[in-house]
Amino acid sequence: MTATDAPPVRRAPPIEWSALAALFALTVRQHTHGRRVLVLGLLYLLPCALAVLLRNLSRPAPADALEFALVFAILPHGLAPLTALLYAAGVVADEVEEQTLTYLLTRSVPRWLLYLTKLLATLCVTTALVAVAVVALYVAIYAGTGELWSVALPRAGRVVVIMALAQVGYCALFGFMGLATRRSLLGGIAYIVAVEGFIANTDFVGRALTVVYYVRTLALRWLDLPAGLLRQCQQSWGMTDLDKLPSSGECALTLLVFGAVVSVVSALMFARSEFRVKTPGSD
Amino acid sequence: MTPIIEFDGVSKWYGNVIGLNKLTLHVPAGVTGLLGPNGAGKSTLLQLATGQLRPSQGTVRVLGQHVWDNPALNRLVGLCPEQDAFYEWMTGHDFVRTCARLSGLGRNEATEAADRAMETVGMTENMHRAIRGYSKGMRQRTKLAQALVHGPRVLFLDEPLTGTDPVARRDLIEVIRGLGATGCSVLVSSHVLHEIRALTPRVVLLHRGRLVAEGHVREIRDLIDKHPHRIVLVCDKYRDLAAKLAACDDVDGIKFLDRESGLLVETRQPDAFYARLPGLAGGVAVREVYSEDDNLEAVFKYLVSK
Repeated sequence: MTATDAPPVRRAPPIEWSALAALFALTVRQHTHGRRVLVLGLLYLLPCALAVLLRNLSRPAPADALEFALVFAILPHGLAPLTALLYAAGVVADEVEEQTLTYLLTRSVPRWLLYLTKLLATLCVTTALVAVAVVALYVAIYAGTGELWSVALPRAGRVVVIMALAQVGYCALFGFMGLATRRSLLGGIAYIVAVEGFIANTDFVGRALTVVYYVRTLALRWLDLPAGLLRQCQQSWGMTDLDKLPSSGECALTLLVFGAVVSVVSALMFARSEFRVKTPGSD
Repeated sequence: MTPIIEFDGVSKWYGNVIGLNKLTLHVPAGVTGLLGPNGAGKSTLLQLATGQLRPSQGTVRVLGQHVWDNPALNRLVGLCPEQDAFYEWMTGHDFVRTCARLSGLGRNEATEAADRAMETVGMTENMHRAIRGYSKGMRQRTKLAQALVHGPRVLFLDEPLTGTDPVARRDLIEVIRGLGATGCSVLVSSHVLHEIRALTPRVVLLHRGRLVAEGHVREIRDLIDKHPHRIVLVCDKYRDLAAKLAACDDVDGIKFLDRESGLLVETRQPDAFYARLPGLAGGVAVREVYSEDDNLEAVFKYLVSK
């Protein structure tokens, strides 16, 4: 058979949805297999265990104080960005490292869409993990207080939405870092400490460039926090004047637009990049 | 014959290192062997042909289409890569089915295609075991199955027989020849001449990123046969043996290998030499005979210098 004898090349539809669904499922399975999810699970257990311990002392710690420390400090500053970093920075790098990217690049998925699909699957996985962590934390803090079902869990639902928006920003950013640098984990940790830690806690205009700033603003506006906890949050975060903060819609939109723009830039970068596979013969 | 794969003036550089050097090559339909020593540029050529790499210079076409970021073409092309990489936690069937789905096949269609592909490569019995427990032969078979699961018209196989046992080797050779017989065009790389000879009479020779020769394997073989073969004879009385060999017309040169207690003999008629060797040796006990030309590098150096 020659090229002229052969039937003409079938023009596949521009987007093969079944291939995208398979890629999405494959990425979710990759993320939920392996040690990473176990390590994160153990990491998430620590604040939960701490909450249970402090609530069961002879003089139990107040639930408000625990919520502030664990849900509004450790989670958005540490666990949520770390989860995004561990998964999103490896979206492409892990496939390159394990030499499996070949199987994806030679299939009928456009390169830019390949990246976006994998990033979307990563976002779903990290959001699901953070959601489980949020609910577990609220249960650990409020179990036995009588406020679990009426107050804590409804608030946990809203915190999950805020964290999901934060994950959009974090996953897009760390996905970009994974493409742009070889030391994305180190760079990501430095970013979490310097930008989301130091800059976000400094009361100047630059903090509007951090994800944590919008997370905090949304928390103040959406969560109907009790007066004591609200005051504690405002004072600790240097956000006493709510009128000077962006609206909830602006915050959500900022995180979504930032995530979308960075993701599209990353996808175009991925589409133009070559990923040479080193073979045993070093060809 | 219209070419299925076209390289026109293609060069590929990795920084200062040249992967391919102004390669012009037109591969017709059927099975074609891509032969060259390690580092010849075979894998670079296959990565360019499957759109994983972009040429630094020149154009690459498969089935008349540009290959870079062309998902519609990928539907018609299969690649069995050289690297021994898988999603190890999957079963073989799951892996092949996933690859079929990534090629755009629906759920049921992909399951049936994976069943067929695994059967074709003789993996039906083991296809529901985790890949991490597979032998090298099973892994090579599974890699081949994922390459052909979506029914490609052009198949690129990068060293598909490497590391396989004799049974797997025989089976894979049969499968590849069978694919060629059914109208699938196959470009298969190897650094071992007799592997390629078992697959196809049509070969392309690469060396250091350049096209050295292409044509019928017989022509290539003739070229190689003109190269003086270097045969090492290890024995205690090697100087006595050298004296006898020096009188033979078909011996072009003799060198003493004192460290090995042996001789390095050069001949252009290796078959005749091997046939006469027992008689020539006479009372000299030859402990070991081997050819230095098992490494194709020496042969290619010779061909390039011609």
